[in-house]
Amino acid sequence: MNLNFHESFQRMVDESLAGTISAEKQQSLREHLSTCVPCQEYLSASNRVIAGLSGFSFEVDPTLNAKVLAALRLQAQQVSSAQPRRLQLMRRHIVEYKVGAAFSVALLLSIVGSAFVYEVATLLLHFDTAQVRTDVLIFWLLPSFCATLCLLATPSEKRGIA
Amino acid sequence: MESDTERIALGLRQKDVAVLEKLVEQYQYRLVRYLVSLLGRRDGVDDLVQETWLRILERGESYDGRSRFEPWLFRVARNIALDAMRKRPMFSLNSNEEDVVRSSPGSSEPSPYTLAARTQDAERLAHSLQALEPAFREALMLRFQEDLSLQEISAIVGAPVSTVASRIYRGLATLRPQFEGEPA
Repeated sequence: MNLNFHESFQRMVDESLAGTISAEKQQSLREHLSTCVPCQEYLSASNRVIAGLSGFSFEVDPTLNAKVLAALRLQAQQVSSAQPRRLQLMRRHIVEYKVGAAFSVALLLSIVGSAFVYEVATLLLHFDTAQVRTDVLIFWLLPSFCATLCLLATPSEKRGIA
Repeated sequence: MESDTERIALGLRQKDVAVLEKLVEQYQYRLVRYLVSLLGRRDGVDDLVQETWLRILERGESYDGRSRFEPWLFRVARNIALDAMRKRPMFSLNSNEEDVVRSSPGSSEPSPYTLAARTQDAERLAHSLQALEPAFREALMLRFQEDLSLQEISAIVGAPVSTVASRIYRGLATLRPQFEGEPA
Protein backbone atom coordinates (compact mmCIF):
# COMPACT_ATOMS: atom_id res chain seq x y z
CA MET A 1 0.00 0.00 0.00
CA ASN A 2 1.49 3.34 -0.94
CA LEU A 3 1.25 6.64 0.96
CA ASN A 4 -1.44 8.12 -1.28
CA PHE A 5 -3.62 5.12 -0.65
CA HIS A 6 -3.53 5.77 3.11
CA GLU A 7 -3.90 9.49 2.62
CA SER A 8 -7.12 9.03 0.73
CA PHE A 9 -8.57 7.00 3.62
CA GLN A 10 -7.23 9.45 6.16
CA ARG A 11 -9.00 12.16 4.25
CA MET A 12 -12.14 10.06 4.59
CA VAL A 13 -11.55 9.91 8.34
CA ASP A 14 -11.51 13.73 8.40
CA GLU A 15 -14.66 13.86 6.31
CA SER A 16 -16.33 11.33 8.58
CA LEU A 17 -15.48 13.39 11.69
CA ALA A 18 -16.60 16.63 10.07
CA GLY A 19 -19.86 14.98 8.98
CA THR A 20 -19.38 15.43 5.25
CA ILE A 21 -18.75 11.84 4.18
CA SER A 22 -21.18 9.93 1.94
CA ALA A 23 -22.67 6.60 3.08
CA GLU A 24 -20.76 4.80 0.36
CA LYS A 25 -17.40 6.23 1.41
CA GLN A 26 -18.21 5.56 5.05
CA GLN A 27 -18.71 1.89 4.30
CA SER A 28 -15.47 1.75 2.35
CA LEU A 29 -13.64 3.49 5.21
CA ARG A 30 -15.06 1.06 7.76
CA GLU A 31 -13.80 -1.88 5.75
CA HIS A 32 -10.38 -0.32 5.33
CA LEU A 33 -10.06 0.56 9.01
CA SER A 34 -10.70 -3.01 10.07
CA THR A 35 -7.39 -4.06 8.49
CA CYS A 36 -5.18 -0.95 8.35
CA VAL A 37 -3.16 -0.12 11.48
CA PRO A 38 -1.76 3.30 10.33
CA CYS A 39 -5.26 4.53 9.51
CA GLN A 40 -6.59 3.19 12.83
CA GLU A 41 -3.87 5.19 14.58
CA TYR A 42 -4.82 8.23 12.54
CA LEU A 43 -8.45 7.87 13.59
CA SER A 44 -7.45 7.28 17.20
CA ALA A 45 -5.28 10.43 17.29
CA SER A 46 -8.12 12.42 15.70
CA ASN A 47 -10.56 11.12 18.30
CA ARG A 48 -8.15 12.12 21.07
CA VAL A 49 -8.09 15.67 19.64
CA ILE A 50 -11.89 15.78 19.63
CA ALA A 51 -12.08 14.38 23.15
CA GLY A 52 -9.48 16.95 24.22
CA LEU A 53 -11.57 19.77 22.75
CA SER A 54 -14.45 18.71 24.98
CA GLY A 55 -12.20 18.72 28.05
CA PHE A 56 -12.33 22.46 28.64
CA SER A 57 -14.63 23.97 31.21
CA PHE A 58 -14.65 27.74 31.41
CA GLU A 59 -15.55 29.46 34.62
CA VAL A 60 -18.42 31.89 34.33
CA ASP A 61 -18.70 34.81 36.72
CA PRO A 62 -21.59 33.75 39.02
CA THR A 63 -22.95 37.30 38.96
CA LEU A 64 -22.96 37.49 35.14
CA ASN A 65 -26.46 36.05 34.73
CA ALA A 66 -27.89 38.46 37.30
CA LYS A 67 -26.17 41.41 35.60
CA VAL A 68 -27.43 40.38 32.17
CA LEU A 69 -30.98 39.84 33.42
CA ALA A 70 -31.00 43.21 35.20
CA ALA A 71 -29.80 44.94 32.01
CA LEU A 72 -32.45 43.11 29.97
CA ARG A 73 -35.26 44.08 32.33
CA LEU A 74 -34.15 47.71 32.34
CA GLN A 75 -33.93 47.79 28.55
CA ALA A 76 -37.34 46.10 28.21
CA GLN A 77 -38.88 48.64 30.58
CA GLN A 78 -37.43 51.51 28.59
CA VAL A 79 -38.70 49.99 25.37
CA SER A 80 -42.21 49.36 26.73
CA SER A 81 -42.53 52.86 28.24
CA ALA A 82 -41.26 54.48 25.04
CA GLN A 83 -43.65 52.48 22.86
CA PRO A 84 -47.06 53.88 24.02
CA ARG A 85 -45.67 57.43 23.86
CA ARG A 86 -44.48 56.84 20.34
CA LEU A 87 -47.80 55.27 19.37
CA GLN A 88 -49.75 58.14 20.95
CA LEU A 89 -47.67 60.69 19.05
CA MET A 90 -48.05 58.74 15.83
CA ARG A 91 -51.85 58.49 16.31
CA ARG A 92 -52.10 62.21 17.03
CA HIS A 93 -50.14 63.05 13.91
CA ILE A 94 -52.39 60.84 11.81
CA VAL A 95 -55.55 62.48 13.22
CA GLU A 96 -54.16 65.98 12.69
CA TYR A 97 -53.23 65.07 9.15
CA LYS A 98 -56.74 63.71 8.45
CA VAL A 99 -58.47 66.73 9.97
CA GLY A 100 -56.20 69.09 8.04
CA ALA A 101 -56.89 67.22 4.82
CA ALA A 102 -60.66 67.30 5.44
CA PHE A 103 -60.66 71.07 6.02
CA SER A 104 -58.48 71.68 2.99
CA VAL A 105 -60.94 69.74 0.86
CA ALA A 106 -63.87 71.64 2.41
CA LEU A 107 -62.16 74.97 1.71
CA LEU A 108 -61.40 73.99 -1.85
CA LEU A 109 -64.99 72.87 -2.42
CA SER A 110 -66.36 76.10 -0.97
CA ILE A 111 -64.09 78.13 -3.30
CA VAL A 112 -65.10 76.04 -6.29
CA GLY A 113 -68.78 76.25 -5.21
CA SER A 114 -68.57 80.00 -4.86
CA ALA A 115 -67.05 80.32 -8.29
CA PHE A 116 -69.75 78.07 -9.69
CA VAL A 117 -72.59 80.05 -8.06
CA TYR A 118 -71.01 83.28 -9.23
CA GLU A 119 -70.77 82.01 -12.81
CA VAL A 120 -74.37 80.70 -12.82
CA ALA A 121 -75.75 83.87 -11.26
CA THR A 122 -73.99 86.25 -13.60
CA LEU A 123 -73.93 84.34 -16.90
CA LEU A 124 -77.14 82.28 -16.88
CA LEU A 125 -79.44 84.20 -14.59
CA HIS A 126 -78.01 87.64 -15.53
CA PHE A 127 -77.94 88.87 -11.92
CA ASP A 128 -76.08 92.03 -11.07
CA THR A 129 -72.39 91.07 -10.97
CA ALA A 130 -71.31 93.30 -8.11
CA GLN A 131 -74.28 92.20 -5.99
CA VAL A 132 -73.58 88.48 -6.60
CA ARG A 133 -69.88 88.93 -5.85
CA THR A 134 -70.65 90.65 -2.55
CA ASP A 135 -73.27 88.06 -1.59
CA VAL A 136 -71.00 85.15 -2.35
CA LEU A 137 -68.19 86.75 -0.41
CA ILE A 138 -70.28 87.67 2.62
CA PHE A 139 -72.65 84.72 2.91
CA TRP A 140 -70.59 81.82 1.62
CA LEU A 141 -66.89 82.21 1.07
CA LEU A 142 -65.96 84.39 4.04
CA PRO A 143 -67.78 82.34 6.75
CA SER A 144 -66.48 79.04 5.42
CA PHE A 145 -62.95 80.41 5.20
CA CYS A 146 -63.12 81.78 8.76
CA ALA A 147 -64.64 78.57 10.12
CA THR A 148 -61.89 76.54 8.48
CA LEU A 149 -59.18 78.76 9.94
CA CYS A 150 -60.75 78.57 13.42
CA LEU A 151 -61.06 74.80 13.30
CA LEU A 152 -57.51 74.34 12.05
CA ALA A 153 -56.20 76.53 14.86
CA THR A 154 -58.07 74.47 17.50
CA PRO A 155 -56.07 71.59 19.11
CA SER A 156 -57.28 68.23 17.89
CA GLU A 157 -58.32 67.07 21.42
CA LYS A 158 -60.81 69.97 21.61
CA ARG A 159 -62.35 68.97 18.34
CA GLY A 160 -63.40 65.79 20.12
CA ILE A 161 -61.42 63.66 17.72
CA ALA A 162 -58.20 62.52 19.42
CA MET B 1 -48.27 22.25 17.45
CA GLU B 2 -45.79 25.01 18.17
CA SER B 3 -42.17 23.91 18.29
CA ASP B 4 -39.61 25.18 20.80
CA THR B 5 -37.95 27.37 18.19
CA GLU B 6 -41.30 28.87 17.17
CA ARG B 7 -42.05 29.63 20.82
CA ILE B 8 -38.65 31.33 21.12
CA ALA B 9 -39.27 33.32 17.94
CA LEU B 10 -42.69 34.44 19.20
CA GLY B 11 -41.25 35.43 22.57
CA LEU B 12 -38.48 37.42 20.91
CA ARG B 13 -40.94 39.18 18.61
CA GLN B 14 -43.03 40.17 21.63
CA LYS B 15 -39.89 41.16 23.53
CA ASP B 16 -40.98 38.81 26.30
CA VAL B 17 -38.41 39.12 29.09
CA ALA B 18 -39.47 35.80 30.63
CA VAL B 19 -38.52 34.00 27.40
CA LEU B 20 -35.20 35.83 27.32
CA GLU B 21 -34.50 34.91 30.94
CA LYS B 22 -34.94 31.24 30.08
CA LEU B 23 -32.65 31.61 27.07
CA VAL B 24 -29.99 33.30 29.19
CA GLU B 25 -30.16 30.45 31.72
CA GLN B 26 -29.99 27.86 28.97
CA TYR B 27 -27.35 29.30 26.65
CA GLN B 28 -25.17 31.57 28.77
CA TYR B 29 -22.37 29.07 29.29
CA ARG B 30 -22.23 28.07 25.63
CA LEU B 31 -22.20 31.72 24.62
CA VAL B 32 -19.24 32.42 26.92
CA ARG B 33 -17.45 29.32 25.61
CA TYR B 34 -18.01 30.30 21.99
CA LEU B 35 -16.77 33.86 22.51
CA VAL B 36 -13.64 32.58 24.26
CA SER B 37 -12.99 30.27 21.26
CA LEU B 38 -13.54 33.14 18.90
CA LEU B 39 -11.33 35.64 20.70
CA GLY B 40 -8.81 33.30 22.28
CA ARG B 41 -9.07 35.28 25.48
CA ARG B 42 -11.32 35.49 28.52
CA ASP B 43 -11.24 39.19 29.38
CA GLY B 44 -13.84 41.35 27.72
CA VAL B 45 -16.06 38.36 27.02
CA ASP B 46 -18.61 39.18 29.76
CA ASP B 47 -19.27 42.60 28.22
CA LEU B 48 -19.80 41.01 24.82
CA VAL B 49 -22.17 38.47 26.37
CA GLN B 50 -24.30 41.24 27.87
CA GLU B 51 -24.23 43.19 24.62
CA THR B 52 -25.32 40.09 22.72
CA TRP B 53 -28.40 39.55 24.89
CA LEU B 54 -29.35 43.21 24.67
CA ARG B 55 -29.04 43.03 20.88
CA ILE B 56 -31.28 39.96 20.92
CA LEU B 57 -33.89 41.84 22.94
CA GLU B 58 -33.64 44.75 20.52
CA ARG B 59 -33.67 42.83 17.23
CA GLY B 60 -35.13 39.48 18.24
CA GLU B 61 -37.80 39.68 15.54
CA SER B 62 -35.16 38.75 12.96
CA TYR B 63 -35.07 35.18 14.35
CA ASP B 64 -37.70 33.28 12.36
CA GLY B 65 -37.85 30.11 14.47
CA ARG B 66 -37.37 27.82 11.45
CA SER B 67 -33.83 26.82 12.40
CA ARG B 68 -32.11 26.09 15.70
CA PHE B 69 -31.63 29.00 18.07
CA GLU B 70 -27.96 28.55 18.97
CA PRO B 71 -26.46 29.14 15.49
CA TRP B 72 -28.44 32.37 15.30
CA LEU B 73 -27.28 33.33 18.80
CA PHE B 74 -23.66 32.66 17.88
CA ARG B 75 -23.97 34.67 14.70
CA VAL B 76 -25.27 37.69 16.64
CA ALA B 77 -22.47 37.26 19.18
CA ARG B 78 -19.89 36.96 16.40
CA ASN B 79 -21.05 40.19 14.75
CA ILE B 80 -20.87 42.01 18.07
CA ALA B 81 -17.39 40.62 18.77
CA LEU B 82 -16.18 41.66 15.32
CA ASP B 83 -17.58 45.17 15.83
CA ALA B 84 -15.84 45.37 19.20
CA MET B 85 -12.58 44.21 17.64
CA ARG B 86 -12.79 46.89 15.00
CA LYS B 87 -13.25 49.52 17.70
CA ARG B 88 -10.76 48.28 20.29
CA PRO B 89 -7.02 48.20 19.73
CA MET B 90 -6.59 45.21 22.06
CA PHE B 91 -7.92 43.03 19.25
CA SER B 92 -7.09 43.13 15.59
CA LEU B 93 -8.90 41.89 12.55
CA ASN B 94 -7.54 40.45 9.36
CA SER B 95 -10.08 41.67 6.83
CA ASN B 96 -8.36 39.87 3.94
CA GLU B 97 -9.66 36.51 4.99
CA GLU B 98 -13.46 36.72 5.20
CA ASP B 99 -13.55 38.44 8.55
CA VAL B 100 -11.32 35.86 10.11
CA VAL B 101 -10.71 36.75 13.69
CA ARG B 102 -7.17 37.25 14.88
CA SER B 103 -6.70 37.55 18.59
CA SER B 104 -3.62 38.92 20.23
CA PRO B 105 -3.57 38.17 23.94
CA GLY B 106 -0.56 39.41 25.84
CA SER B 107 2.16 36.80 26.19
CA SER B 108 2.25 37.16 29.97
CA GLU B 109 -1.44 36.33 30.37
CA PRO B 110 -2.27 32.68 31.02
CA SER B 111 -4.18 31.20 28.11
CA PRO B 112 -7.90 30.71 28.80
CA TYR B 113 -7.45 27.13 27.60
CA THR B 114 -4.70 26.43 30.15
CA LEU B 115 -7.01 27.68 32.89
CA ALA B 116 -10.01 25.78 31.55
CA ALA B 117 -8.37 22.41 30.81
CA ARG B 118 -10.04 19.69 32.89
CA THR B 119 -8.56 16.55 31.31
CA GLN B 120 -5.04 15.45 30.42
CA ASP B 121 -5.78 15.58 26.70
CA ALA B 122 -7.20 19.08 27.10
CA GLU B 123 -4.07 20.16 29.01
CA ARG B 124 -1.92 18.89 26.15
CA LEU B 125 -4.04 20.74 23.62
CA ALA B 126 -4.27 24.02 25.53
CA HIS B 127 -1.09 25.60 24.22
CA SER B 128 -1.51 24.58 20.58
CA LEU B 129 -5.15 25.56 20.64
CA GLN B 130 -4.20 29.04 21.78
CA ALA B 131 -1.62 29.26 18.99
CA LEU B 132 -3.97 27.81 16.38
CA GLU B 133 -5.25 30.00 13.55
CA PRO B 134 -8.41 31.52 15.11
CA ALA B 135 -10.61 30.59 12.14
CA PHE B 136 -9.56 26.94 12.50
CA ARG B 137 -10.11 27.04 16.26
CA GLU B 138 -13.55 28.56 15.81
CA ALA B 139 -14.55 25.92 13.26
CA LEU B 140 -13.24 23.07 15.44
CA MET B 141 -15.00 24.34 18.54
CA LEU B 142 -18.30 24.90 16.75
CA ARG B 143 -18.19 21.43 15.23
CA PHE B 144 -16.91 19.34 18.13
CA GLN B 145 -17.80 21.35 21.22
CA GLU B 146 -21.08 22.90 20.16
CA ASP B 147 -22.02 19.97 17.93
CA LEU B 148 -23.19 22.13 15.04
CA SER B 149 -23.48 20.95 11.46
CA LEU B 150 -21.24 22.33 8.73
CA GLN B 151 -24.22 24.20 7.27
CA GLU B 152 -24.91 25.85 10.61
CA ILE B 153 -21.24 26.80 11.05
CA SER B 154 -21.22 28.15 7.52
CA ALA B 155 -24.18 30.39 8.36
CA ILE B 156 -22.46 31.64 11.52
CA VAL B 157 -19.10 32.48 9.99
CA GLY B 158 -20.45 33.58 6.61
CA ALA B 159 -18.17 31.27 4.65
CA PRO B 160 -19.00 28.42 2.25
CA VAL B 161 -19.42 24.91 3.66
CA SER B 162 -16.31 23.79 1.75
CA THR B 163 -14.25 26.49 3.49
CA VAL B 164 -15.58 25.46 6.88
CA ALA B 165 -14.76 21.81 6.15
CA SER B 166 -11.26 22.78 5.07
CA ARG B 167 -10.74 24.75 8.29
CA ILE B 168 -11.79 21.72 10.32
CA TYR B 169 -9.43 19.39 8.43
CA ARG B 170 -6.54 21.81 8.78
CA GLY B 171 -7.27 22.43 12.45
CA LEU B 172 -7.32 18.69 13.13
CA ALA B 173 -4.11 18.28 11.13
CA THR B 174 -2.40 20.89 13.30
CA LEU B 175 -3.48 19.36 16.60
CA ARG B 176 -3.27 15.66 15.71
CA PRO B 177 0.54 15.21 15.89
CA GLN B 178 0.37 15.61 19.66
CA PHE B 179 -1.41 12.27 19.94
CA GLU B 180 0.20 10.36 17.10
CA GLY B 181 2.20 7.27 17.91
CA GLU B 182 0.47 6.81 21.24
CA PRO B 183 -1.89 4.11 22.37
CA ALA B 184 -5.51 5.18 22.35
